[in-house]
Amino acid sequence: MNILTIQNLSKSFGKQKIIDDLNMSVPAGSIFGFIGQNGAGKTTTMKMVLGLLRPDSGEIRLCDEKVCFGQTKTDRSIGYLPDVPEFYGYMTAPQYLGLCGKIIGSSKSEIEQRTQDLLALVGLSSATEQIGGFSRGMKQRLGIAQALFTDPKLLICDEPTSALDPAGRKEILDILRKISTTTTVLFSTHILSDVERICDRVAFLHEGKIAVCGTLAKIKEMHGHDSLLIEFSDDEGLSVFKQQKAIRPLIAGSEETNREIILHSRDMKKVQQTLFGVFYETGLCPVKMQIMGPSLESLFLEVIK
Amino acid sequence: MNGYLAFVKKEFTENMKNYRFLIMLSVFLIFGMMSAFLAKFTPEILSALAAEMKMRAEPVALDAWKQFYKNISGVGFSAVIILYGSCLSGEYSKGTLVLMVTKGLSRRAVILAKYTAAAVLMTISYWGSYALTYGYTAFLWSDTKLSNVALAALALWILGFLYLSILMVGCVLFEQTFTSILFTGGMVAVISLLGIIGPLARFSPFHLTTQNIDLISGIAAPSDLIMPVLTSMIISILGLLVAIRLFNTKAL
Repeated sequence: MNILTIQNLSKSFGKQKIIDDLNMSVPAGSIFGFIGQNGAGKTTTMKMVLGLLRPDSGEIRLCDEKVCFGQTKTDRSIGYLPDVPEFYGYMTAPQYLGLCGKIIGSSKSEIEQRTQDLLALVGLSSATEQIGGFSRGMKQRLGIAQALFTDPKLLICDEPTSALDPAGRKEILDILRKISTTTTVLFSTHILSDVERICDRVAFLHEGKIAVCGTLAKIKEMHGHDSLLIEFSDDEGLSVFKQQKAIRPLIAGSEETNREIILHSRDMKKVQQTLFGVFYETGLCPVKMQIMGPSLESLFLEVIK
Repeated sequence: MNGYLAFVKKEFTENMKNYRFLIMLSVFLIFGMMSAFLAKFTPEILSALAAEMKMRAEPVALDAWKQFYKNISGVGFSAVIILYGSCLSGEYSKGTLVLMVTKGLSRRAVILAKYTAAAVLMTISYWGSYALTYGYTAFLWSDTKLSNVALAALALWILGFLYLSILMVGCVLFEQTFTSILFTGGMVAVISLLGIIGPLARFSPFHLTTQNIDLISGIAAPSDLIMPVLTSMIISILGLLVAIRLFNTKAL
């Protein structure tokens, strides 16, 4: 079942078309990575899902309910974490969550319980100071807590880690992974290592459309190719290696730096068999051999080419 | 309703924390204290400064009320507009409203809550100022008999709601504080210009700023204010409805 379905969505700002006939669906229970360059339209798409921006055309359905601009009915199923969440600086974290609870109409005891649980989840139980004095990482964590207050079916995070240091990033990713057992997460970013770390599905947004979409493993399999790095101890070893008859067909498209050569192939097993045969015949001994799987980075670069 | 009440509470807290209420209350209370004293002692101060200057008439209690209406309708309400001109622009620029609205807080509740808080705090400041003027006037001129004093103050108070309502439309339309304030000034100018046109004159809400003294001194009758009061109330409600409608279609 899809929790979010976007059909034929388009949005222009002036003459610039940001989203152009976009189609996408997010299955329930997934951690969905929404990848795109800066300015690709990730935030625009998310704001349309939240009903904060009016689409020029197309339809967005959330839990089978149509999203209407300016209306907040569907927002009750969504938790939203903006890239840099801003709060009322004079409040403390429990006071802010209390305000969120009152807005959604929770009872006093529910608010107290939920506040305690969420602050514990994001590691802010001991933060007693006003939010104005919070660091960026703390604000981001409070952002997750407020987004989860409504117990949403879908959590939308807009580049939640891009402004954080490595420790802060890890904390946020760990929290997202923790909550993914109960909530579907849609997570926009251009930090590919974050996607590889936690997402099971990804979609690449390019020129207003979804260029590639699917499970992470499948996409890598379809669009990527494995690479093999071989390093020799001297230049001579490399040149002898390249001259071998069996090697020549493999060299097409390879990359060479100093005494290293990177071979690309979709059938790495066959390449390895050939290589070991050549090494045995010539007596060449590489100092390093390493298989490099298809990276999202190479995929991303391939998509935006 | 839950959202509205929660947001009203948040607005009150915010107005205390950012000193908006404190500043507004101070301005109004200072005018409340000053009105009677300035009316009573201005002739004496002037004579002390310029010995040859002779005052033709003894100051009376009516002079205190003249001071009050001049100050409140001019500087007092300008202060209210300037202070509340930023009530939405701050939220736009920081993006704090996005989190509230995506929690399911209706946009109507946001506008109504902001208006409620501003109106209540303006009311406290206004009547506080009135009470001070009343007290000091009674203290300085013990044998004064003036009619309709409270009714005259009520008239100007109603105009305060009109100003706030127009300001709300400005705040929704424009993202900068300055532009919202400018819009309010412009709209007030347009309404007062319309009031000069013969057939419309008796409906002009700005009679509420000019007829207070006439009412106190007995020149005008309370019934003269009925039309201006009605126009003010209608424009205030329309303004609020327009603000809500515009805010519903605003991209946040």
